[in-house]
Amino acid sequence: MTQQRAMQPAPPAKASPLRFILPIVPVAALTIVLPLVDHIEPKMAGIPFVLCWIVAWSIAAPLFLWLVGHVEKRW
Amino acid sequence: MSNATVALTIVAITVLGTIGFALNSVRRIKMDPAQYIVAGRSFGTIFLWVLLAGEIYTTFTFLGVAGLTYATGAPAFYAIAYGTCAYCIGYFLTPAIWRIAKDNDLLTGPDFFENRYGSKALGIGVAVLQFVMIVPYVALQLSGLQILLKIAGYASYNATVSVCIAFIVLAFFVFTAGLRGTAWASVVKDIFVLGAVLFAGIGITHRFFGSPAALFSELAKTHPQMLTIPWGGAPHGINWFISTIALSALGFYMGPQSWNAIYSARSGDTLRRNAMLLPIYQALLGLMLLAGFCAVLIVPGLKGTNVDQSFLLVVQRYYPPWVLGVVAAAGALAALVPASALLLAAASVAMKNIAGDVFNIGRTDAARTRITRILVLVVAFLALAVWLLAQRTVVELLLLYYNGVTQCAPGVFATFLWRRATALGVGAGIVAGLLVAIPLAAISVNPWGVNAGLIGLAANVVTLVVVSLLKRA
Repeated sequence: MTQQRAMQPAPPAKASPLRFILPIVPVAALTIVLPLVDHIEPKMAGIPFVLCWIVAWSIAAPLFLWLVGHVEKRW
Repeated sequence: MSNATVALTIVAITVLGTIGFALNSVRRIKMDPAQYIVAGRSFGTIFLWVLLAGEIYTTFTFLGVAGLTYATGAPAFYAIAYGTCAYCIGYFLTPAIWRIAKDNDLLTGPDFFENRYGSKALGIGVAVLQFVMIVPYVALQLSGLQILLKIAGYASYNATVSVCIAFIVLAFFVFTAGLRGTAWASVVKDIFVLGAVLFAGIGITHRFFGSPAALFSELAKTHPQMLTIPWGGAPHGINWFISTIALSALGFYMGPQSWNAIYSARSGDTLRRNAMLLPIYQALLGLMLLAGFCAVLIVPGLKGTNVDQSFLLVVQRYYPPWVLGVVAAAGALAALVPASALLLAAASVAMKNIAGDVFNIGRTDAARTRITRILVLVVAFLALAVWLLAQRTVVELLLLYYNGVTQCAPGVFATFLWRRATALGVGAGIVAGLLVAIPLAAISVNPWGVNAGLIGLAANVVTLVVVSLLKRA
């Protein structure tokens, strides 16, 4: 099944702009937004907020990329 | 048996066992250049995931992340963030590169430049750049291995000879097994590294502090400044932090070994799924941060490059020798498996783009496979010589590697984003980027706290655009 899907042509050029907006969200969260979240408090499970933020976005990024694939009708 | 014998025996058995396992797994493969260098473009999602994780997570991720945490605290969080950003770019970039490579039978990174810009000279230039950068990077892995063996030997012996032996064995392994061998060895390596990372983050934190919450409340009392990123242009401040993430994410796939891995995928969707799944591995690096924070309180006072040993010293002092042996074995694989990918990448670039394109050597597939194999041994001995002659300056050479390979990025992105870029523009951009980034990095100057490499990259882009437009006018 994987093979068959790989054979399909690339999505048409007018594909939803969501496919570019979605992956920008985690990238922005891990770069330009960082000065706003560079705090110890509020701690979550005792862990400084800025560390929670970075780990949480690394776990959330696969979800965003999955959504991109979904928008592109790849899976 | 002494403690050192137990620990070192475990390391030796693990390394030899891994190599034996990988050799056994590839013994029926008939090698032509495409099979040897890019595994016949056949890897599916899981195998490619293992290979990429095997290449990306080197000893310096393993020891360096804990070391940077030990030395600076929160600025080390960048190590988690940059990979995640890189994969968000890689989701679009890697399938596009793969498609071009597949349609044009490309084998190496320089092939891509030669094909896209229609310039053999640019391909050869990029090949020489990559080759020059990769040799010190291999040497750096050897330094990592030496640190590990010294600690696993309880500082009772000088590890130089062992490092040489391990590396020569590795070179003959790559000679025989090619990229498939590296992928199989990565399977074992990833299991060991995963175990060691879980032990480091969860085991050490639990034993000494009970929970991460207790660890951080202790740190908040003694080292509160380590828990946030310093403001503005301070050393390792937020400007450095964001610019380093940007630089590392843009240069992420530019190392010669990454090109081989991208080409080895079975399809574009394989690469997309990989980009989606690899950030999970980044989150695991959070555990190495915990290990580094623990070491701050358990073994205080390390300075300079010794910070990289902080987490291993905790294991050496407070755990039985077999635990140290298993952790050091994971570290040794984390040095040797990426080194094997680097050897193969350097040899394939030298075969295809230097021996082939410059001297026109290697007309048949059999001859090209043979030349690549011989070059694997040549590169290995070259790296060993660099390491033996220049051990102290190797860390500075790392700066050269990152700044050097990252300069290839604008030329790659331009093929997809800006059609008017020319071969001359890309070449001039690379030269300009190197001329700006390397002197700044060499004297450790980061203007306004911004990573010098990113400033080099900006000079590269401006030069690329200006030269491309001038040539046309």
